[in-house]
Amino acid sequence: METWRTYFLRSPEKFHVQSAPLRPLLVKELWEILGGQALWIMLLLMCPLIGYSFFQATALYGEASVAGLQSAVLASGLSPLDGVLVPTFGAFYVAVTLLFPFVAIRVLGQEKESGALRLLVQLPYRSPTLIAAKLAAVLTAWVFAGIPALSALVMWELLGGHLSAPETVNLVCGHLLYGLLVGAIALFAASVAESAATAAIVTLAFTIGSWVLDFTVAGQPGLLAWIASLSLTQVLHTFEQGLLPAGLVAGVCAVVFGFAALAAVWLPPGVRHRNKVIRSIVCVFAVALALGLVTQIRLTFDVTEDRRNSFPLADQQLLATLPQPLVVTVHLAPEDPRYADLQRNVLSKLERTVPKVSIRLAGRQSPATDAGGDRYGEVEYGYGAHSDISRSTSPREILPLLYGLAGVSSPAPAPGSDYPGYPLVAGGGAALFWFFFGLPLWIALAWWWSRRLPKPIAARLSRRFDHEHN
Amino acid sequence: MDGVLLMVSPDRPIPRISTPAMIAASTSEQARDLPLLRVDSISKRYADQTILSDVAFDVLAGEILGIIGPNGAGKTTLLEAVAGQQPVDKGHVRWQGNPLPPSRRREAIFYLPDGVRPYEEQPVTRVLTFFADVYRRATCEVEDVIESVGLTPVLHKRVYALSKGYSRRLMLALGLLTPHPLLLMDEPFDGFDLRQIRAIVDVLRRDTIEGRTLVLAVHQLSDAERVCDRFVLLADGRVRGVGTLNDLRAKTGIADGNLEDIFLALT
Repeated sequence: METWRTYFLRSPEKFHVQSAPLRPLLVKELWEILGGQALWIMLLLMCPLIGYSFFQATALYGEASVAGLQSAVLASGLSPLDGVLVPTFGAFYVAVTLLFPFVAIRVLGQEKESGALRLLVQLPYRSPTLIAAKLAAVLTAWVFAGIPALSALVMWELLGGHLSAPETVNLVCGHLLYGLLVGAIALFAASVAESAATAAIVTLAFTIGSWVLDFTVAGQPGLLAWIASLSLTQVLHTFEQGLLPAGLVAGVCAVVFGFAALAAVWLPPGVRHRNKVIRSIVCVFAVALALGLVTQIRLTFDVTEDRRNSFPLADQQLLATLPQPLVVTVHLAPEDPRYADLQRNVLSKLERTVPKVSIRLAGRQSPATDAGGDRYGEVEYGYGAHSDISRSTSPREILPLLYGLAGVSSPAPAPGSDYPGYPLVAGGGAALFWFFFGLPLWIALAWWWSRRLPKPIAARLSRRFDHEHN
Repeated sequence: MDGVLLMVSPDRPIPRISTPAMIAASTSEQARDLPLLRVDSISKRYADQTILSDVAFDVLAGEILGIIGPNGAGKTTLLEAVAGQQPVDKGHVRWQGNPLPPSRRREAIFYLPDGVRPYEEQPVTRVLTFFADVYRRATCEVEDVIESVGLTPVLHKRVYALSKGYSRRLMLALGLLTPHPLLLMDEPFDGFDLRQIRAIVDVLRRDTIEGRTLVLAVHQLSDAERVCDRFVLLADGRVRGVGTLNDLRAKTGIADGNLEDIFLALT
């Protein structure tokens, strides 16, 4: 007790900020997240939103399954990923886009508005440590926000539905990255903005701005296509298709790290704006460099059970052995639906399979304006000294063409590799009851529990208080 | 123990300052040597308005120094600048003669701002526990601090439900839980009645006896006169006088004047 009071004799070079315990900081962030109303209100709003989406998805899937139960061919088109998981998590995406920013901003904005941040920055933690703890709090909030969506998965299982673990984990992973991205932007906005309201405007400009990009410039050629690719929702689309792209994961992590670093730069109140701007520019350049590097990562995994993003296994194995470079020249405008078909059915699969492949887009203009319109619609495949032309967008026609160019025979289809499909006709009444009554009740109880005084402290201090006043 | 707690210099003797009289004697001796903190020509402007102009003064170990001035004199800006929470246009701070850059001020100085209700949604106990855990305080230390500032009746309450006075007590308790040798407090008596001020003054005195140095920004001259050992009189961002009450009386030639008379004479 006496020792810690006698600091004034110490020389300043002896002072360090080192190894302060992290646990109290993390515990504080957790209680701050749980102590506010924003998280619980968001959770209560998410229950009916996700519940109704799940109910609708299950009902539509059931209607489609009636025919699927009669025919194996129709059944093979019934995938729970497309029919139930993506629509249900779509509601979760809406909530994360519109509601989650307010929860994430609160992690920092509340302390900023109450003045507690001026105490926090004096504690023996560096700014990056404080922001890392807050990002951990945002992650915790996302996990809580995911409870209704995860309960929908449990409900689907209970109804007898099929879940493919890789597909499900991959989809959750995509939403986690999207949530972290929104959370990191919110933290950055809260760090820069003077008020939580301003931070909310900045964050919603990113999230709702992404919607605007999706609706207005998606599918447009040239610069607009590049602008459309900046939409945050692009992160999700790949995962919803059942792909796990290593480059995208690394890129999103780099951007999340970049926004967190910017938040740490703008956190300390005693640093000149000019210095903060300089440090921010360094951060932006570092992230841009990292993004430039991760775009070179082309490793992508198709985690779907029906292998919709890949050629049949036998073709896949044969194409992977082609030693020479394959050059594909496409005479189509990017906005042409045939190009989208070709890209989805053939080109993206070739890129993930053939070791050396280059794709060139020669038809930048639609046939109406293309001077060399004779060749519009053609796709030229060059392998070694041979080349051939096709207008098809189907792998059934293009794969034999490629085998012909390479001088190999088509492989025999692997037995037992057909996707059976998972038709299910199930009533969703119980799910509606759960999402509209059961889960909200549990959430309300958890909210009440979180507002109780911590028991050990309360008991000890009450004893002391009673002792003093009796 | 970590952080600043580990930084005791074992090769230097630690003097025990046991009474206010000894503090006065000790401070006058140390003034001839090195001050604990030297604020050197700090200036700060917002757009075309000068907030602080060449503000300079020393803080002596173990004293309670009052930054005195009316509202708008620049007291809060000065404390924030000294604490490293406000960038300045000119000037620096030295700790026992060595430069202390703004990024390292928090290692030696803890600043309790005015009007802050930290973590409003949390119960008082949880806020105290957070600070106690960060600085690894023993339970008995926390209980002593709670008792000394009179927070016991409101431990169960959430911070937003505290009265202004209890909110101040909470801030004071947080300050007392920190291990920093120098504590800056902005308007620590705002919201207290006379009895409460006396009780808080006793707490602050005990803290200085145990080795802490305090700098208080106070706009109520009567409160300041009751509490502080020395004064820095601030008006319009300029220092108008520094010293003990007797020093200032001598400077103004008002032999039996109180702080109010002296302040009016100097500003």
